[in-house]
Amino acid sequence: MVFSVFRFGDYLSEYFVCTGCALLCDDIEVDVQENRINTVNAACRKGVARMKGCTDPLVCTVDGKEEGIDKAVQKAASILRDAKNPLIFGHGNSSSEAQKLSIDLAKMTGAYIDDTSSFCQGPLVEAILQEKLKTCTLDDVRHRADVIIFWGADPSNSHPRHLSRYSYYPRGKERQRGWEEDRTLISIDIRRSDTALLCKDERFYRIPISGDAEFMEALVSSLSGKVPKTSFDYEKKRILELSNVLRKAKFGVICAGLGLVYSLEQLDPLFKLMDKLNELSDFHLIPMVGQYNMRGFNHNLFEETGYINRLKFDPQNDEPLHGPEYSIVETLYNKKVDAALIIGSDPLSSLPYSIAQNLKDIPLITIDPCQTLTASRSTVTIPCALGGVEADGTAVRMDGAEVTLKKIIKTDRLTDHEILKMIMEAI
Amino acid sequence: MGFGDFLTLPEIKLRVVTCRNVFQNTAQETSRFGEDYERLSAVIMLDPKDITRLSIKDGETVALRNGHGKVVVKAQRSGQEDAHSGIAYMLNSPWSNALVPVPDTGKGVPKYKDFEVTVQGSKGEKVTGIKQLF
Repeated sequence: MVFSVFRFGDYLSEYFVCTGCALLCDDIEVDVQENRINTVNAACRKGVARMKGCTDPLVCTVDGKEEGIDKAVQKAASILRDAKNPLIFGHGNSSSEAQKLSIDLAKMTGAYIDDTSSFCQGPLVEAILQEKLKTCTLDDVRHRADVIIFWGADPSNSHPRHLSRYSYYPRGKERQRGWEEDRTLISIDIRRSDTALLCKDERFYRIPISGDAEFMEALVSSLSGKVPKTSFDYEKKRILELSNVLRKAKFGVICAGLGLVYSLEQLDPLFKLMDKLNELSDFHLIPMVGQYNMRGFNHNLFEETGYINRLKFDPQNDEPLHGPEYSIVETLYNKKVDAALIIGSDPLSSLPYSIAQNLKDIPLITIDPCQTLTASRSTVTIPCALGGVEADGTAVRMDGAEVTLKKIIKTDRLTDHEILKMIMEAI
Repeated sequence: MGFGDFLTLPEIKLRVVTCRNVFQNTAQETSRFGEDYERLSAVIMLDPKDITRLSIKDGETVALRNGHGKVVVKAQRSGQEDAHSGIAYMLNSPWSNALVPVPDTGKGVPKYKDFEVTVQGSKGEKVTGIKQLF
């Protein structure tokens, strides 16, 4: 079966969605032979690797021994049933359908529930959902943005098609002359990243580690007609030049990366900068979300509870408990959880070892398409179909747009939400 | 054995910032346990001045340690970076996470992008394998 076929005068094509990152590129063509993805066209190298699948798929196991799905589900159910303080974590690489069931499962078991946004882009997504930050879609950026700031972000490495599909190179409806004349690319970062290289010296602003808040305040001063000052003596002329570019923007966007998020103790300096920019111009912010459906989890939990992450459900009480003390980092730090279900994530890889090691001492259940470090330490491992390749579903792009995932190849493996449904039924 | 082998290599303190790399991300998609992922992840990118201060050569192994852990990774001279003596870069990976601190502020956010390590040359020592990390 070959999906994309070019013929003169008769162009046949079917496009699929790449789940390699939260850009969810929906222009992917694939060549499938004997139910295997042979070629992936249009995706970046990371996307190609994601869609072709890993070389070490997860095997269904209980206590390290290969078992059938029914036994694994029964064991997972008994672990969650017996736990007093279970944790359900992950969701960044899970379909929205699975995420909603995960929330139901957390309610059923009185579990802590959290996702990776808890220690990365969560504050920005929360501010956007609470309408404290003005945002826009990636399509708005493609068609309208003339000033694009990557702040603490390096999409050339984290989201390789961001610049070519949306933010810099494409000709948009109001940006027909493209990057050469119609767009100004700016990088504000502590290091000259691959993206910063594209901005050349003129539009790359290198700031010191944790200097983001002060640089924002200096920009606000400059935009207010005052002399910008920083404790690190940043060249005033350059800040004034930058504020002039921002002031004149017709449609500006700040693509906020982890460098910005981790640098700010709280978001007030960013709110002030965005308010000032919107007094003078039209500025938006999009968080550079990494995993393909992290934002989907935030939306789904927000819709259900009014919070985007860091919750504990209490079976005796309708109102969930919320706060940093219910985050995965604090619950592991304080050894509060006695079992964990990990879905679509690998916390043993992504969390500091000093707290991740506490996962090793409790019964773990991992649901994932691939072998992970967390899976290698799990009591129960259940392989699931790869979203967007072996399973249909929906996901939410980094800008909040909902995207439908279409299955490309058949698999015997169950989808993530089918597995969760079985566990819930067994409980 | 030369006279130099009896000398202790200097150790220096550096601030580490983690970042991303598309080649390493690609290797992770293929296999977290693969050679490519280890080769691309178990690396610290140093300013040429810091390489000199450590009395090591580009590509030699170095031991990184702080109050949270110890790993052996390869030292690599930064590419297009501006001078950044005193600051080193690591790719976000289990190797950097072995050293990332969790502050006791109760905010639920580790210090991924700013932590201190002591670095010392460890020529001949093997890079810490991913399974040894846990």
